[in-house]
Amino acid sequence: MNRYWREARLWLVAIPVLLWTLLPIYHIFLFSISTKDSAFSGALWPDHPTLRNFGTVFRQEHFYLHHFWEQIWNSLWIACAVGVLTLFIATCAAFAISRIKVRGGRTVMNAALFTYFIPAAFLAVPMYKAMGTYGLLNSRWSLVLAMVTLASPYAIWVLKQASDKLPWELDEAARIDGATPLQLFRLVYLPLMTPSLVAIGTYALLLAWNEYLYAFLLLSHENTIPLAVGLGHFLASDDSPWELLMATALIYAAPPAAIYYAFRRYMVGGLTAGAVKS
Amino acid sequence: MATVHFREIVKNYGKTRVLHGISLDITDGEFVVLVGPSGCGKSTLLRMLAGLEDITGGTIAIDGRVVNDVDSKDRDIAMVFQSYALYPHMTVRENMGFSLRLRNEKRALIDQRVATAAKILNLEPFLARYPRELSGGQRQRVAMGRAIVRDPKVFLFDEPLSNLDAKLRVAMRTEIKALHQRLKTTTVYVTHDQIEAMTMADRIAVMNEGRIEQLGDPLELYDRPANLFVAQFIGSPAMNIFDGVTRAGAVEALGARWPANGRATDGQRVRYGIRPEHLEPAASGIPAEVIVVEPMGAETEIVAKVGDTALTVMMRGRSSAGPGEGIFLAPQAAHAHLFDAASGQRL
Repeated sequence: MNRYWREARLWLVAIPVLLWTLLPIYHIFLFSISTKDSAFSGALWPDHPTLRNFGTVFRQEHFYLHHFWEQIWNSLWIACAVGVLTLFIATCAAFAISRIKVRGGRTVMNAALFTYFIPAAFLAVPMYKAMGTYGLLNSRWSLVLAMVTLASPYAIWVLKQASDKLPWELDEAARIDGATPLQLFRLVYLPLMTPSLVAIGTYALLLAWNEYLYAFLLLSHENTIPLAVGLGHFLASDDSPWELLMATALIYAAPPAAIYYAFRRYMVGGLTAGAVKS
Repeated sequence: MATVHFREIVKNYGKTRVLHGISLDITDGEFVVLVGPSGCGKSTLLRMLAGLEDITGGTIAIDGRVVNDVDSKDRDIAMVFQSYALYPHMTVRENMGFSLRLRNEKRALIDQRVATAAKILNLEPFLARYPRELSGGQRQRVAMGRAIVRDPKVFLFDEPLSNLDAKLRVAMRTEIKALHQRLKTTTVYVTHDQIEAMTMADRIAVMNEGRIEQLGDPLELYDRPANLFVAQFIGSPAMNIFDGVTRAGAVEALGARWPANGRATDGQRVRYGIRPEHLEPAASGIPAEVIVVEPMGAETEIVAKVGDTALTVMMRGRSSAGPGEGIFLAPQAAHAHLFDAASGQRL
């Protein structure tokens, strides 16, 4: 009896949470398969569901969608660049601090932790100024550099903690076997860190893919902005094409969902590695 | 193959000195075991030889070349770790060939050397497996295979059998010894297990608190321990040791007279030591009361009380004595050990 009651309580919490999460997504989906006239009908299922909105988006057949492919390419380019760069910086830093034990490693770790105290929004204006100084405004690189700056501390922290868990004897065995630090890094360290690297790479990639504030600030040309900012432009007029906005949003949400699904095995293990000191 | 020379080796960790000027010469092809309790510095000494720890003072030479400032990889040594330290993402074959791969050796040579080592260690069926798919003993053999493949000047073993169960440990002990007899490579082996040391070593260095207490071949250490520490550390069950005073060529202790052959002046306070197998039950002698009888088949271990002190007696064959019964003990004078009560040194 007690067990059933506990189970029931669990369901009582789970069902509202599930609805709370799924309802907006269902809403997006509903809009995206409705015609413009029936979009606001309030029905739970449209009378004439259609996929025409997606066709309109893919063929860029609307004023707001003239740069759809370009913008989604920008999103992809920026996200991948952020993922790769963050991974490169954080892996090198974690290896140097955790395995080679370079001087000042602790300071770097403390500094990385300290950056958590500064909300990203605080840095938006200084970052804008800095990018302006270097003439990077309106270049995709400005957003890439800004996002790498924001993602790196956490990435270094997580990878350093994960590195610490690798048995130290492996490094010693490799040294005796004749490995240089670079060979140790390439042939022993990287293969063993793969799960954490996948997790952190995905984290940085998705962080950049989902970014709006910095993208909005640093990029303003229609052919340099990522799709996230492009979506925002839909709301610029009084009569927004909601059905197209939602169809585009659904398309935009698909890659992260796919990536997360593909790497879900690594995400939980990789991101919680280093969550607690063991 | 090579000689190894330690000269006045000192090691500090911060302000703590863990090695106090160790000197040790190992000849070509010798199997030397460093044995001692945890924290005695034996692993540190080995790791200094491997180049994994800095040398605070003194010199280490391999084959006549001082290697203090030589990188691990250029010392031409191979090491077997307690945790095996196999690369988990490589197969047995890749693990064993890794050092040669790093030296950019030809594929054919690597394959041939790995095959030879695998044959010696009976690892041929497992070459394509990953370490996680092997048992503890097989992993241990892979770790040894990795060392053999390199054909190094010196083999280093850091407590390689500690992670194995008792039966496997005995089997691997034999394998390592057989391997050494076959390859004749100079070997330095660290263990805290004195039985491993006794059975495998050409010579044993007993270490304690950063010093070598005694260096010698196994039976020399057993028969003539230089001090109380070595006497208590070597031998299982441990030597019986108790306080006494010398009188007319014997030792008065525990209310009885114990025969002695050490050189002590009359009336000197000593520690009297006698191994369990040199203390036999007899028809007459020192009266004792049996506490526990542990039959082991070929031998019987008896714990008996003389006065208030419990002594261990090891006799061949079986005993009919039961707990609470009185027996007589006959110590063999030729095997009695006398140590100075103050310094603990052999008399």
